[in-house]
Amino acid sequence: MNYDFSEKEFNLFIDIQEKVSRVAESVQLDRKDPKRSRENIKQVLEQLAQTPYLQLGLQPVEGYQGQLSLMGAAEVLAAVSPSAYLSVEASTRLFGRAVNEWGDNSQKAKWLSPLLEGQLIGALALSEETLNIENDPLTTKGDRQGESVVINGAKQYVINAPIADWIAVAGFCDDAYALFLIEKETPGLTVEPAIETLGYEGTPISRIHLDNCSIPAEQIIFPPAKAEMPQTLRMWENQMLLGASLGLSKTAFESARDHAKTHRSGGKPIIAYQEVGFKLADMLTLFQTSQLLAYRTAWTAETNPKEAGELLLCAKVFCAESAETVCSEALKILGGNGYIIGNNAERAYRCAKYVQIAGTSTEIGRVKIGDAALGYRD
Amino acid sequence: MDFAFTKEQLMFKKEIIRFAKKEIVPRVQEYDLKEAFDFESFRKLGDFGILGLHFPEEYGGSGADVVTTVMAGEALGEAGVDGGLTLAYGAHSFLCADTILRHASEEQRKKYLPKLISGEWIGCMGLTEPDAGSDVASMKTIAEKKGDKYVLNGSKIFITNGPIADVSVVYAKTDPSQRHAGISAFIVEKGTKGFAAGAPLIKMGVRTSQTSELFFNNCEIPAENLLGKEGEGFNMSLQTVEWDRSALLAPFVGAARYMLSSCADYARKREQFGRPIGKFQAVKHKLANIRIFAEAAQSLAYKIAWCKDQGRPLNHLEAAVAKLFVGDWSMVPANDAMVVFGGYGFCHEYNMERIFRDSRLAPIGGGTSDIQKMIISKLI
Ligand SMILES: Cc1cc2nc3c(=O)[nH]c(=O)nc-3n(C[C@H](O)[C@H](O)[C@H](O)COP(=O)(O)OP(=O)(O)OC[C@H]3O[C@@H](n4cnc5c(N)ncnc54)[C@H](O)[C@@H]3O)c2cc1C
Ligand SMILES: Cc1cc2nc3c(=O)[nH]c(=O)nc-3n(C[C@H](O)[C@H](O)[C@H](O)COP(=O)(O)OP(=O)(O)OC[C@H]3O[C@@H](n4cnc5c(N)ncnc54)[C@H](O)[C@@H]3O)c2cc1C
Repeated sequence: MNYDFSEKEFNLFIDIQEKVSRVAESVQLDRKDPKRSRENIKQVLEQLAQTPYLQLGLQPVEGYQGQLSLMGAAEVLAAVSPSAYLSVEASTRLFGRAVNEWGDNSQKAKWLSPLLEGQLIGALALSEETLNIENDPLTTKGDRQGESVVINGAKQYVINAPIADWIAVAGFCDDAYALFLIEKETPGLTVEPAIETLGYEGTPISRIHLDNCSIPAEQIIFPPAKAEMPQTLRMWENQMLLGASLGLSKTAFESARDHAKTHRSGGKPIIAYQEVGFKLADMLTLFQTSQLLAYRTAWTAETNPKEAGELLLCAKVFCAESAETVCSEALKILGGNGYIIGNNAERAYRCAKYVQIAGTSTEIGRVKIGDAALGYRD
Repeated sequence: MDFAFTKEQLMFKKEIIRFAKKEIVPRVQEYDLKEAFDFESFRKLGDFGILGLHFPEEYGGSGADVVTTVMAGEALGEAGVDGGLTLAYGAHSFLCADTILRHASEEQRKKYLPKLISGEWIGCMGLTEPDAGSDVASMKTIAEKKGDKYVLNGSKIFITNGPIADVSVVYAKTDPSQRHAGISAFIVEKGTKGFAAGAPLIKMGVRTSQTSELFFNNCEIPAENLLGKEGEGFNMSLQTVEWDRSALLAPFVGAARYMLSSCADYARKREQFGRPIGKFQAVKHKLANIRIFAEAAQSLAYKIAWCKDQGRPLNHLEAAVAKLFVGDWSMVPANDAMVVFGGYGFCHEYNMERIFRDSRLAPIGGGTSDIQKMIISKLI
């Protein structure tokens, strides 16, 4: 047993914090800016490529514990810029991880190597019209025509679609689950403009349509049947959202704490009032409890992935709900300052809803945890 | 980071659960209803080695590490042992005996520890007073040195094991002009002239633990019963906080796991509207809440334990966070479990109402949730 991150891990966290904060000082990473968003994310990726961050969880890196080190680092990145975090992770830990786990060597050379160098932005398109892959099967399908495959379907809420070089589209081919890797501007692929969202405005998210979109057969990845592709992709998404939740709690808590210690009212800092100080105590309790639960989940995913499923759902529900509570309380402590657009806590508050809805929703998460306790399989 | 338990620890946990289910759990309902202390079960805890797990072997203990000791508390809760017995064990082993281990003379250790560890004697710890609860430094019990004796006057309240204890660790002011720095700790034996325990208080929960006042009326004890030096008492009480935030929280985590498996069993069998109630999402939702609490709380308690095993000074912020979380949140699974059992949940036979009552102590005992918030807000 050991409850400490190593010195090397801590140094990585500091490095990421400094590198990405520098980018965030020069460009607006968390504002909607369709013209610059690709350039902004590329800047962040290039900075991260100078550290082991992009490789964590994909390839072994000496001195780091894969998913676990990643969770600690993710928290830092997601606190500095929630939007950049989501873009980086969708590219690396959804698109990149799929190529890494299921691609052949030539596919890895083509997509993974530039991705890890920060030169390629990826996206993964999973959700369809009914959004919820739990209750409805995927309808996107690829039909073979000679050496090519022709794809038809539509996806919504695809993170990075407007800025991605490549999009991995989940669907069926030859009656098996498949990922179709489609390069931007391929005929038949339509990427709609980024949608307007409550939070994560710096992350371009849009619908895509595939109308007789033809790609060479080498651009298909077939995950093994036992990989249960949709469930596995959801699990990866949940891991990504755990890191996002920690980052939101962290930034909201820290903003509120710093404000409460410096802002004075009635002749004393407002933290001296129990209504404020005790709120902060509740917030920190949720945050620290979330951290430990998320780290233990990440450690389990790294060391014993088969055991990680239910724990991940518990962590996802708890950390996502805690993030919203912490952000909401932070806004009360920040008073009028918190209500002005542009501060970290209001930004985190608007983002926090997403982490509950996306991936396995809090509702479906609870049903699945309940099913597991009852020994029900569906 | 590494969250793994050793194989031995996991095996030991299973053994404790098996032992407790067979030897202790069948007696829990009867004693809870009687509001009586179950001496036989307590002795069995001693025989099994649980009362003295972390104590050195020379006093009859097993020399276990803190993580294993905390795991024993979790295992008892998970087996279905009531919060009264686990509280009695906690007050006895950690608040009383551990203080003797750390601060008493070798002679005193030899005198008290083997009997406390076997369960032949029962220990308690008296800190809280009628007018000094959260604000312990305002305690009024005084200990005046007179020759080779101390004379104690005052009273204590809410003392777990008070009416049945053979040995008490009692905190009193040797310098009433001071607050924390004026507090000292003493050993007081049952039967000492001028020392008496009140009748057991009638409580909402943890009913098998006996809680009472302690009265000191010109109670004379030998001067060597002072633990450590005068004025060191408050720090000694703080040392027990490490146990309070780990070993005493662990039974609540275990109880959540017990509720989860009980509720799952019940929800699979109980049919309404032509199907098992486990098929209703509202019931699954509650099972999920119970599991989430257990997973979230578990790491908090073990982190405090692991840090103690590393010999680190207690991180008061993390300790307060652990206590606050388990305290305030343990009511959620306890309430949900009762709801899953419907009307039966409200009845003694199904155990959930007892756990609900027992859980209500979590945000009070060992420092209320407000006090944890006070500590946290001062330290951040
Ligand atoms: C079953 C049981 C077993 C116990 N066992 C023991 C034992 O073995 N040994 C022992 O010494 N004690 C024991 N206690 C006592 C326990 O530690 C105290 O009850 C607890 O510390 C609270 O003290 P109090 O009851 O005097 O409440 P008070 O301190 O009077 O508090 C009353 C209320 O005021 C709030 N409050 C107090 N101060 C503040 C503040 N500064 N800011 C905000 N809110 C505040 C509290 O949170 C609480 O809600 C036991 C108690 C119980 C119920
Ligand atoms: C002190 C007490 C006094 C009482 N007095 C009387 C009395 O005088 N006369 C009398 O006739 N009864 C009495 N009752 C019984 C009371 O009305 C029932 O306990 C109550 O209606 C719930 O029924 P149940 O206990 O069988 O729980 P169940 O119906 O078995 O429900 C158990 C759990 O399953 C859930 N559940 C069940 N169906 C669904 C569904 N379709 N969707 C989602 N969740 C579902 C419930 O919400 C609950 O969480 C009394 C009960 C108590 C505790």
